[in-house]
Amino acid sequence: MKAPVDGRLAALRGSGKRLDYNARSLAALENNPRCTLRALLDASGSNKAAIAAHVGHPPAFGQSVFAITRGNAFEAMVKDNGCAELLRVLRETLELTLPEVAYEDLNDVGGNGRSDKRYERTEEVLLRAARGDGEGTLFDHPMLRLLIGGHPAYLEPDLVAFRIDGRFHVMEIKSFPIIDGQADPTQVRAATTQACAYIIALRDLLGRAGIGAEAVSDTIVLVAPKDFTNRPTAAFVDARKQVAALTRQLSRIERIGELVDLLPDDLTFDLYLDEDEQPRRPPEELAETLDQVLKTYRPDCLNHCEMAFYCRSRARAEASLDVLGPVVREQFGGIDTTTMVMGLARGELKPSEDQVEMAAALRHAARLRAELEDLGGAA
Amino acid sequence: MSDPLDALEKSIGTLRRAIRDAAAAGDAERARELRMQLRRAERAWDALVDTGEPTPPSPPPAPVARGSQLPAREHVHRALMLLGAPAAPKLIVGVHEAFFPGELSASKLSSLRRDEERSYRSSPGARPYYLCPALAHDLLTPVRALITISTWPLERRVIGPLSPRVDFLTSAIGIAEAVHTAADSTGEGPSPEALRLLWRFAVNIPDAMPKDASSHGGALDPQQVVIAARAELDVHTDADRATRTAAARQARKSLGDDEQLFGAPSQGVTYLRSARA
Repeated sequence: MKAPVDGRLAALRGSGKRLDYNARSLAALENNPRCTLRALLDASGSNKAAIAAHVGHPPAFGQSVFAITRGNAFEAMVKDNGCAELLRVLRETLELTLPEVAYEDLNDVGGNGRSDKRYERTEEVLLRAARGDGEGTLFDHPMLRLLIGGHPAYLEPDLVAFRIDGRFHVMEIKSFPIIDGQADPTQVRAATTQACAYIIALRDLLGRAGIGAEAVSDTIVLVAPKDFTNRPTAAFVDARKQVAALTRQLSRIERIGELVDLLPDDLTFDLYLDEDEQPRRPPEELAETLDQVLKTYRPDCLNHCEMAFYCRSRARAEASLDVLGPVVREQFGGIDTTTMVMGLARGELKPSEDQVEMAAALRHAARLRAELEDLGGAA
Repeated sequence: MSDPLDALEKSIGTLRRAIRDAAAAGDAERARELRMQLRRAERAWDALVDTGEPTPPSPPPAPVARGSQLPAREHVHRALMLLGAPAAPKLIVGVHEAFFPGELSASKLSSLRRDEERSYRSSPGARPYYLCPALAHDLLTPVRALITISTWPLERRVIGPLSPRVDFLTSAIGIAEAVHTAADSTGEGPSPEALRLLWRFAVNIPDAMPKDASSHGGALDPQQVVIAARAELDVHTDADRATRTAAARQARKSLGDDEQLFGAPSQGVTYLRSARA
């Protein structure tokens, strides 16, 4: 990345400590690549949670202690006793052979849990396995690293990356159930999004040692409770599309310079923290700054972006159609706000030339609705 | 291996033979290390005979009161002897609840592990045995959350890539034999907890479950579990033993007595709690 851009990004962040990309911000990148505000905040390493809280919209996720405990308990259960449950599942569903049981714990390196140490160790162990010397079927919590815009992001595959038929497979252990072979599509998507970053990071690691991308499978192994029991089952999830999408977005991240160039020179998201890490910047002023940057709110931002509640309140205040989601929004090409939609439907606003068709459709819809309401009133 | 005394006697016998071999081969250092292990094992044997430990691992009706008053480390020792392999605190507590009377909690276990090392360092060898962590086969550092007994040979206390599975199967055999003994002995037979524990192991071993899969624990045959576990064990044993023997040899060469029990010093100076992204 060009040095001036880096300096400009540092100025955007200001006094706070730089935050690296993580699985969540990568998910946000994959799901909403066009949002300028998100791109700038993530690229500059700003503390999105602190900023959102300071302008009065603290992020409300990551708070369910129960969900986290449940997830951890399930993961521990699956991995207990030398991954006994996991091995059974993998033997049943993925036809893992009997001798493939080797287990490598990468949670720490001889008692040292630092990311860089764990990354070095992961690299050593995985490369050995990839080259075929050294045993290794299950790798517990490997630490991967991905350079994003010149900054390292450490990623820890939720669970295990392992090897069947000489290929690495990223595994995700999740506590939502697979009932009759079906799981909640939103949750599966969230899991695959996360796993995509791991696939890319794993390919990057192997690629630097001259091992081709085909060594890492595009297919994710999802391990989750079966039906209404607590016993795990496994399923393959095809992540090809999402891997391609995220790869593309990552390669475009370098273009952040173009976005930065559009900003006024003195713009910053700095909270002006004092010694006690308390923000001193007036919230109104910060909000004004945020409003100068284009944001693209979508309802699913709530799943992965700390700024989502702020953006939603702004979108609502502007009566933007974004609040209703992309499906609704796409129906109204060229119209941005609910006020305009309603105005056109009621015939209070005069449609511009390219809105004529839409206005006719809206008035028709309004007429139908009015008739229905009359019927309802008569009955 | 269900009886701690039997296991100790077996291990004493093995150690004596190994000392003779080492002496014949002129490997004085190895012989010295083995002699020390032998002394530890003998002390453990003495201690067990003296306290008159309840011999069958099944819950005998009479010594319940005395069994429950044993210190926590004795409980852990007894559970580990039944399993015959390094085990995580959770499994140790599970085995204890299934086969032995008295209270034992996982939280007690973690403080126990620190006490053991402290006690050893203040007066090495004062106790007949110590509870110590398993060692990683490559770095020889303590393995997270796996407890072993100091009287076991290093070969059993190091963990290679295949060892978690091997130890799982070994533990399954230990549990199946204990359930079998309890079923044979007079009294009410194995506890429901013991059967559930065996079931949890058996479902994850190929061919260990009865053919009519509808049965739930009751029809579980401990003998079948033992046979199935042995069959899979045969697949892994040789490779696992090779790794463990090599690691044990390395440990004897490079580590001091205390490190052979409690592991090489960890690599980093600090534990970083925030390291997990």
